[in-house]
Amino acid sequence: MVRVDLKKKVDLSVKFCGVRFPNPFVLAAAPPTDKGEMIARGFEAGWGGAVVKTLGLEHVEVNLVSPMMAGLSYEDKNLIGLENIDLISDRDINEALAEVGDLKRDYPDNVVIVSMMAATEAEWQEIARRVQDAGADMIECSFSCPHGMPERGMGSAVGQDADLTFERAKWVVDAVDIPVLIKLTPNVADMRPIAARVKEAGAAGITCINTVKGLIGFDLDTFAPLPSVNEQSTAGGYSGPAIKPIALRFVADVAKDVQIPVAGVGGVVTWKDAVEFLLAGAGIVQVCTTVMRYGYDIVEELNEGLALYLEDKGLTSPMELVGKGLVGLVSHEALSREYKVVSAIDEDLCIGCGACVIACRDGGHQALEFRGEDAGELARVPEVDDEKCIGCGFCVSVCPVNGCMSMAPRED
Amino acid sequence: MAWGWMQGADDMTGYAQKVEELSESGRTYSPHEAVLEASRCLMCDEAPCLDGCPAGVDVRRFVRKIRFGNFRGAARLIREANLLVGICGRVCPQEILCMENCTRGNLDTPIDIAGLQRFAGDIELGTLAPLPVRAEGRGEKVAVLGAGPAGLAAAAELRKLGFGVEIFERADSMGGVLTQGIPPFRLDRRFVESELDYIGRLGADVHLGRDEKDVAALLKSGFDAVVIGVGLYRPYTIGLPGEDLEGVFVAADLLAAVARGEQPDLGKRVVVIGGGNVAIDAAMTAQHLGAERVDLCSLESYDELPAFRSEVEIAQSEGIEFHTQTKPVKIVGTDGKVSGYEGVGIRWKTPGLLVPSNAEEIPGTEFRLAATAVIEAIGQGVLDCYEGVDADERGLIRVDQETMVTSMPGVFAAGDVVSGGATAVQAFAEGKRAATGVAAYLNEAATGDAASTEGGGR
Ligand SMILES: Cc1cc2nc3c(=O)[nH]c(=O)nc-3n(C[C@H](O)[C@H](O)[C@H](O)COP(=O)(O)OP(=O)(O)OC[C@H]3O[C@@H](n4cnc5c(N)ncnc54)[C@H](O)[C@@H]3O)c2cc1C
Ligand SMILES: Cc1cc2nc3c(=O)[nH]c(=O)nc-3n(C[C@H](O)[C@H](O)[C@H](O)COP(=O)(O)O)c2cc1C
Ligand code: SF4
Repeated sequence: MVRVDLKKKVDLSVKFCGVRFPNPFVLAAAPPTDKGEMIARGFEAGWGGAVVKTLGLEHVEVNLVSPMMAGLSYEDKNLIGLENIDLISDRDINEALAEVGDLKRDYPDNVVIVSMMAATEAEWQEIARRVQDAGADMIECSFSCPHGMPERGMGSAVGQDADLTFERAKWVVDAVDIPVLIKLTPNVADMRPIAARVKEAGAAGITCINTVKGLIGFDLDTFAPLPSVNEQSTAGGYSGPAIKPIALRFVADVAKDVQIPVAGVGGVVTWKDAVEFLLAGAGIVQVCTTVMRYGYDIVEELNEGLALYLEDKGLTSPMELVGKGLVGLVSHEALSREYKVVSAIDEDLCIGCGACVIACRDGGHQALEFRGEDAGELARVPEVDDEKCIGCGFCVSVCPVNGCMSMAPRED
Repeated sequence: MAWGWMQGADDMTGYAQKVEELSESGRTYSPHEAVLEASRCLMCDEAPCLDGCPAGVDVRRFVRKIRFGNFRGAARLIREANLLVGICGRVCPQEILCMENCTRGNLDTPIDIAGLQRFAGDIELGTLAPLPVRAEGRGEKVAVLGAGPAGLAAAAELRKLGFGVEIFERADSMGGVLTQGIPPFRLDRRFVESELDYIGRLGADVHLGRDEKDVAALLKSGFDAVVIGVGLYRPYTIGLPGEDLEGVFVAADLLAAVARGEQPDLGKRVVVIGGGNVAIDAAMTAQHLGAERVDLCSLESYDELPAFRSEVEIAQSEGIEFHTQTKPVKIVGTDGKVSGYEGVGIRWKTPGLLVPSNAEEIPGTEFRLAATAVIEAIGQGVLDCYEGVDADERGLIRVDQETMVTSMPGVFAAGDVVSGGATAVQAFAEGKRAATGVAAYLNEAATGDAASTEGGGR
């Protein structure tokens, strides 16, 4: 990391569920945390903590398929989303837990959380105790994997049912002394009643979200669904930048209405995304797909970017941001009907493409039109018809020129 | 499209203004455009762009910082390796350095590393960029001769390492070729000043207008080491008939005069002799001074021209006429003033050996150009020799390339005075290396002293 004199001492460390993290950035339970050696490289790069990829007991058969991943390309971006039909870790739990001990010895300041999954009460409690004995700082229970595991009554089959969630969360909380996180699934209409039961069960916090259940596409030649396992497939878990809005919504819902610590995860790429998760109420931020794509050292941009942002804002700790964005989050009913905006175009910046004209004509209220020949040089600069513009804001999101279109408060 | 919050949003307003003001000196990205360009980067493993930078700027990392919205982080990262962030973004021949190596070129076009570096360099223009963490102060003092890229790099690096530094500069401004050679239309002085100012803030004492040649005396007068970075200030002349006519200029002097703000009258038709960067700069400067036609005559063929390709192409697109593979015969005068130029076509006796003695005239290819001024730009040599410091027959100082130490203990040298003329970034890299050499030398002296006092103190 670049060493510079910061104007004000920014300290990136955070306290979350009673545990101190050197910074709020944590590797999510996924391939980047499947081995101790990998996590060590992540810590070296600057990650504050890691959630070891979900472990099951020895007798649980983990039979992987291949391929198990497929990405979604959109125009020039070749991975706006990733779908996987991976399962929990296929590693031997004893080996994996031995590595947890090694990690804690070599990186005592970094936080090691172990993700785990089981079926019966006895199994949940056994695996939880073994994780605690291995030296993990925290436990994360996956009640949320949307593919494969639910068919066996685990994963999101648990997280979609408030009672099952409560019961299992309590089993684990009762079995150990270290803080327990429950990782919930976004594949529910409302996470709050479930999160409330997690709180009632005594868990320290919630991790949300796991992947969104989806179907990434079909092969147009063979008609096979993707990722194609010998021409067959199954719905999988969707992750990456595309799911950020879904994740933010669940984090904000839970942080605001259930008031339980939240580890935010889903679609984080830059420090700006991370700041949004903090504003939505997350106390730490987990990342998976971005790390898989760009490597562990991307954390440098997260740490440094966040530190410089805090410095600019005159703040000294990320904790000062947690939940700060929730005040403005109200019901639709409560939103002002007096506040009205109208589309505004910066003539100097407009390049005359007319993307906004089309958008408003076919997707809005026909309020934008080219000025036409008479306007001379400004012929292709659209004019806003104040009467027709209902201030929907769609035109702003299609304009290709940064800063050219905006929504200005109505004067009348 | 809403850009949303930007690091240093307040500075950004200043940034936009600055960019507008300075837009004539090269295209500068808006933050949004910079991110778009940076996101073309493939973020290669073991990225080859890094190997292309003499100053060791971690290109992949700074491009990544821009891509992920960490703009000031990018500026700081580059500045750590190369204090001349914005300057190198403007004058480096990136097309033969980092950009030539860029993998993205195998797909379509290389990442515009130069443009992104300019962006990063300019991002902190309106603000006082934070100083790097400096080592604890040391007692030793180092004299740096010359405040060009080599001397400045050495001075800055030595300050970072905690040494006292005094810079002796013969001219009355810092910057070396950056302020005395490269024309202002190619490198806006305001960028140079803001970066020189940064180096100044590192706390070196600067003595302008001080010509220092006696390194032994400096060592005796309390300096523990000396770094020589004096560049090349003896312009070569050809010795042509007619060289003493009014209207004959030496490129280096002409460029220096223009850099000082003078506007010499060259008339309407200018002939430049030479094929390097200085010749191109002289030709472009002649145009700026009002010449209607500029002819550039070089021994080298078009493909052999030593000037940076990008500069040659700009000159060509600006209408400079090239007469490649020709040699000068004489400068013609009327009433003591230049009125024409005579040259003749040549071929190389031994192909690839680009020296005047290897040129063979081709009979029947004599030509004559009308001229109001002739500018000779055939290279510069070392101006002074430094007593006790070994140099080659051209006066170029001999050094150990690793530490840049000369034949005299405690005396180091870097930049054009060693290489015979290369690029600003190479001079900068050598200056940094010399600083490391000085530090190693002084550390050794310090421990040696300690050991000897220990030994003798019993
Ligand atoms: C016209 C021109 C255009 C160029 N264009 C480019 C370009 O576009 N890109 C690029 O990368 N490179 C370019 N170069 C090359 C580049 O500028 C040089 O390689 C670089 O400046 C060398 O740095 P330096 O510190 O060794 O020497 P200089 O920059 O020459 O600095 C030496 C300094 O020492 C001072 N000095 C001399 N003698 C003494 C003394 N006895 N005591 C004290 N001070 C003394 C001088 O006044 C000067 O300030 C160009 C060179 C010229 C001449
Ligand atoms: C290939 C892959 C494997 C994953 N495996 C697990 C897992 O074993 N346990 C778990 O709790 N989450 C798992 N996840 C989900 C991630 O931890 C994370 O919640 C999700 O990918 C959203 O974050 P992201 O958008 O940053 O990737 C996996 C995700 C991917 C892409
Ligand atoms: S070589 Fe080009 S594409 Fe690869 S890392 Fe460097 S700038 Fe990016």
